[in-house]
Amino acid sequence: MDEKYDVIVLGTGLKECILSGMLSVDGKKVLHMDRNKYYGGESASLTPLQDVFDKFQKKKTQEYGRERDWNVDLIPKFLMANGQLVKLLIHTGVTRYLEFKSVEGSYVYKDKKIYKVPADEKEALSTCVYCILPGISICARDKYGALMGIFEKRRFRNFLQFAQDFDESDPKTWKDLDPNKSTAKELYEKFGLDANTQDFTGHALGLYLNDEYMKGPCKFLLQRCKLYSDSLARYGKSPYLYPLYGLGELPQGFARLSAIYGGTYMLDKPGAQIVYDEQGKVIGVKDETGAMATCDAVVCDPSYAVEKCKKVGQVVRAICIMNHPVPNTKDAQSVQIIIPQNQVNRKDGYYLAIVSTTVETSNPEAELQPGLGLLGDVLEKFVSVSDLYEPVDDGKESKVFITRSYDATTHFETTCDDVVRTYKRITDRDFDFSRVKHNTDDSGQTQE
Amino acid sequence: MADIPEGSVTILTNGICREQRKPSLRMASGVPNYKIILCGEYGVGKSSIFRRFLNNTFVQDNSKKSTIGLDQCTRPFRVGDADVKLTLWDTGGMERMSFIGSSYYRGAHAALLCYNSSNKETFTILSQYILDIVMNAEGAKIFLCGNVADGGDGKEKVEEADLDSFMSECGDVLSGVYTVSCKDNWGLDEMFQDMAKVLHMDAMSRMTIRRDLIRPGETPELDDEAHGKKKGCC
Repeated sequence: MDEKYDVIVLGTGLKECILSGMLSVDGKKVLHMDRNKYYGGESASLTPLQDVFDKFQKKKTQEYGRERDWNVDLIPKFLMANGQLVKLLIHTGVTRYLEFKSVEGSYVYKDKKIYKVPADEKEALSTCVYCILPGISICARDKYGALMGIFEKRRFRNFLQFAQDFDESDPKTWKDLDPNKSTAKELYEKFGLDANTQDFTGHALGLYLNDEYMKGPCKFLLQRCKLYSDSLARYGKSPYLYPLYGLGELPQGFARLSAIYGGTYMLDKPGAQIVYDEQGKVIGVKDETGAMATCDAVVCDPSYAVEKCKKVGQVVRAICIMNHPVPNTKDAQSVQIIIPQNQVNRKDGYYLAIVSTTVETSNPEAELQPGLGLLGDVLEKFVSVSDLYEPVDDGKESKVFITRSYDATTHFETTCDDVVRTYKRITDRDFDFSRVKHNTDDSGQTQE
Repeated sequence: MADIPEGSVTILTNGICREQRKPSLRMASGVPNYKIILCGEYGVGKSSIFRRFLNNTFVQDNSKKSTIGLDQCTRPFRVGDADVKLTLWDTGGMERMSFIGSSYYRGAHAALLCYNSSNKETFTILSQYILDIVMNAEGAKIFLCGNVADGGDGKEKVEEADLDSFMSECGDVLSGVYTVSCKDNWGLDEMFQDMAKVLHMDAMSRMTIRRDLIRPGETPELDDEAHGKKKGCC
């Protein structure tokens, strides 16, 4: 404390840690604080398991194997193997701190249909029809559980090929569609895809949470399909990656990046509070002892500056502990389930399922019911409703730059978009991935 | 290096392979690499040890800038007739006002627990660090390293007797005890060489145990694999 910094970052969520890392790399003097004792804020993985019970103020009535084998993500997400976050991890060298695992499978349930993206081709062959493009294998069933017809399969393949070749900057690849004007619906019609295939494409490939995207420009759908197939092509098995010890490793990795570039870390500062001058411009951050660190700018998550945020929605999430995998049942409606069956606790025979959705009614828990119903018997359930906030202004006046809350999407693409936007607001510069080139071999020592 | 992304891919495939692998002795290709993390109070000379390991330099003044961007370094060692590598991790100074975070400890084969021999406070707190290591880096071997450094500023020195009593208390959790001086550059090479040996021998002995566990009827692929040359494990 009692020092002058260029930037003070409040909260060690993933977004704040990426920004802290990038600003330190830029040569800024950064102080990074968190009110909690652990790194990660909302995007932490809690360990030992007791911490999860404490957080949700529940009493643990039975033991669930070894406490420290549990790493429970508060916000479940996956990394797209070819997505922005992976690029960022590679460019910054943060990959060196983490170990990843390829996710075994993802399932999307919608209107009583089950869409499973097969973990490998063998599985695809044994359970569903599949089409193979360079690097992409996909399965689909129609609403009667029957396989996709041969003609539909061909149309779908054409569509995927088009998505694969699509390049927003090259009109030759547009096939007389205007990617900015034509809607996703029109795109489907052009390829003659039936309603089932449309559902499958939008939800299992595009990872849309609802059907609103159909009315928007088709380029977004194409980009998402391309990201999916590029990600799948990268490792051949599943388009998703997941850090071996939970998502909480990600913020820690970027915090480390910030620290080795000179960033200072202070955790366990429950009273961290932003201080403004009369004009409403930030002058520093005060802790619970009254000591103040001064700064030119503050970067924080919404919880540190609630008065400068507006509520834009809610997400309900249920973390469930089970002693069996999710049974392969039917009858679900419009609920997306991510099942990070945590490899670390497998050996004890416990499974972890996290069900989440954007809140649309006054009874959020009931909205999860279709998803929860799929899980079978649940030993323990932790339900939380989180408000989604976004900043009311761009922070240029007050020099307080606030990130958005983490939404219900299943991967980190929107997270990275927000990081890039916030970075630009802070620095007036575009976020350039290639600026950080982490050199592990300055030393001249041999390294294979 | 240019192919860092490939590196992460390797980790991935390893992770998957490990599960599907038959209980054979097929080894991950390449030289065994042991991760060692530096632990201990802020200012005991962890970064000095790191810098000696990295490029055998010593920086007198306390400017943190000199390690910027570097917190991890790999060096080859020779143990008997085997090539091994040690990767040393520095804390990046995160422990100064805060916690290092659990991810630092993940997958560590060893922790090099450091204290400043001219500052007893950095010594008496060691048991707390041992607790941290045992909790966060399961199975990691712990090595103790006293750095003879100036800058004790009249603080109490760590005496032989202190070390002895510490050893009798927690000697059995320590896999090695060393005294080094980063400033005068003595004891360091010997320490790293010894750590490489202890870590590699331990890994090999565990391989031996695994060898006994192979089920009858399965042909161990050991002979084709090792064939008199390097023996290692992942």
